[in-house]
Amino acid sequence: MTNLDYHRLGNFRYAIITLVGDDGFPFSVSTDFKIMPDKKIVLQKPAQPSKLDGKRVNVLFNHITGLPGGGYGDRRYMLVWGTTHEDHGTLRFEPETVSEWDEKILPFDQYCAKSAPQGAKYLGRLQASVEA
Amino acid sequence: MNVKSLSRRHRARPDLIQVPPWVRETFDSYLVCEFTTVKSGKPVTLPLLPFYLPDSGKFVVTSSILFSKKAENVRQNPKVSLLFSNPEGSKAGKHAVLVQGIAHADDSDLDHGWEKYLGYWRKKEPYIDAYLTEREKFGWFWKRIVVQVEPKKILAWKNGDTSRPPEVFGA
Repeated sequence: MTNLDYHRLGNFRYAIITLVGDDGFPFSVSTDFKIMPDKKIVLQKPAQPSKLDGKRVNVLFNHITGLPGGGYGDRRYMLVWGTTHEDHGTLRFEPETVSEWDEKILPFDQYCAKSAPQGAKYLGRLQASVEA
Repeated sequence: MNVKSLSRRHRARPDLIQVPPWVRETFDSYLVCEFTTVKSGKPVTLPLLPFYLPDSGKFVVTSSILFSKKAENVRQNPKVSLLFSNPEGSKAGKHAVLVQGIAHADDSDLDHGWEKYLGYWRKKEPYIDAYLTEREKFGWFWKRIVVQVEPKKILAWKNGDTSRPPEVFGA
């Protein structure tokens, strides 16, 4: 596992576990988590899904701060893919890859600029489908 | 469930998934949801601003072409979910509500198709008009795909207690 900043991860309040169910629909559930001194991530086991041992999941850690006049700021998230293992009534999460954004690290306008290639790609594909 | 809740449910359209008022309040009030698409069998979950359309019972999220991968995923696999788990910035109580549904991505009018949802957007982010006045500055941000989700099943954990099984609606 690379690039996972455990210090910043520890600032999130809760976690959201998501996996793809047998019916093909994504299933997300919120739960508490803690980071152990040896950097193991331990998730509280939700009632559902009932079987999470050895499951490939993603875990989203998301934060916003509500603003007094409405809306929100201080946006940040970490989306971590990995595997869950049942362990004494809890879930041990083994992270593998991470994708994240924190607007205090990468301000929104810079995030948009960085994402311009994705926008160009989308427009290019759209144009090609119109011309086809 | 109390009588008031039941009577409100029975007044609603019978073809829509009926949910109790606290679930509906969650849909209306929570500022963000955790939106999941599936790419090559793998879930991809991101925080997004959701709009609940009471007349159709559908949900809408919009996506800039800058962050369009979720729309591309929807075209490959329309099965998606929205989890409402974060009451921050709303006056609603803390609950967890999962909506599983079928999504349709519409990019037929990137410049204006999303504008019909501005009223919902303004309610959740009152400052959005300030960004709109700078529309030229954030040009591609305002080229937006509309993703509409028809719910198939709703699972709800009152008070956000996911250590208990959820109430299930529409199964």
